[in-house]
Amino acid sequence: MNAMESVLSRSEEMVIRHHMEALMAREQEICGLLVSTVDGFRVAAMLTGELSAEKLSAMASSLLAINEAVCQESSLGECRDLVIEASQGRILLMDIPHPAQKLILTVLCRAKVTMGQVLWAARGCRESLGQLFHTR
Amino acid sequence: MTEREYKLIFTGSMGAGKTTAIAAVSDVTPVRTEVSNSDRATHAKATTTTGLDYGEVTLPGGQVLRLFGTPGQARFHFMWDILGKGALGVVLLVDNSRPDPLDDLREYMQAFANIIGTSRAVVGVGKLDQHPSPSLDDYHEALHELGLQVPVVSTDVRRREQVITLLDILFYQIEAADESARQGAAWA
Repeated sequence: MNAMESVLSRSEEMVIRHHMEALMAREQEICGLLVSTVDGFRVAAMLTGELSAEKLSAMASSLLAINEAVCQESSLGECRDLVIEASQGRILLMDIPHPAQKLILTVLCRAKVTMGQVLWAARGCRESLGQLFHTR
Repeated sequence: MTEREYKLIFTGSMGAGKTTAIAAVSDVTPVRTEVSNSDRATHAKATTTTGLDYGEVTLPGGQVLRLFGTPGQARFHFMWDILGKGALGVVLLVDNSRPDPLDDLREYMQAFANIIGTSRAVVGVGKLDQHPSPSLDDYHEALHELGLQVPVVSTDVRRREQVITLLDILFYQIEAADESARQGAAWA
């Protein structure tokens, strides 16, 4: 099934791919990128090896949904980014605003990543995409 | 988890009423993780749960039921495994307006087989009044074929007392299974 086709145009999908390629080229320690719908469908993926974009899309959806519930329960305001520390790298998740269907950006980073730098670049990508979608 | 706390799972297909059921009975403000639904072909509803639902019910005897609702879609199977850990029983909600409700029954019974064993579950069938087929007898037959002794009732999860009835039945199923296991151990 390709549910996002009903909410994202072909040109929006191309804009997303262009932004992903630019982000990947800019940050050498990013080893994978995924954009998915907030309910867990793949939109675009730049992943290596046997990583499943479909599975990661569903997991990103669950993680961000639970993240938002935890922020709400803790009365600490709106959910921003989610960073997962793993033994061989870090995973960053953040939402991308879209007038019809909120999206999720997942960034896989190698262990020696400078997280602040990637966070800054990913937020820039998120903002740029959000503005483009909003003006369309 | 103490002896007087019971972790129970609410599962079933997308739109079967898991979030509604937990919200209908929970004594605390339920935790919900609903997001915008882009898959309108599968179900027309605006939102869908992709993380979990959580609620609590305290029974008159002091037992605390901790209710965990799963996402319905099979692509969230990993959440079924995570949420199922340590659970003592399953409330399976089936939507009788779906294309093949008995297939839904088999899928979820199989997915939670390690918790259910042969009887630690109850099946609540929704929209039976508007969609009389399959009948409750058909469900019983399907469960019998799966080797399960699980009660099936018609339910409207928007009504608190009907969800409480499901929980009462499940509670009885769990107690009976525990008793049976104790007797089995005593004879061994």
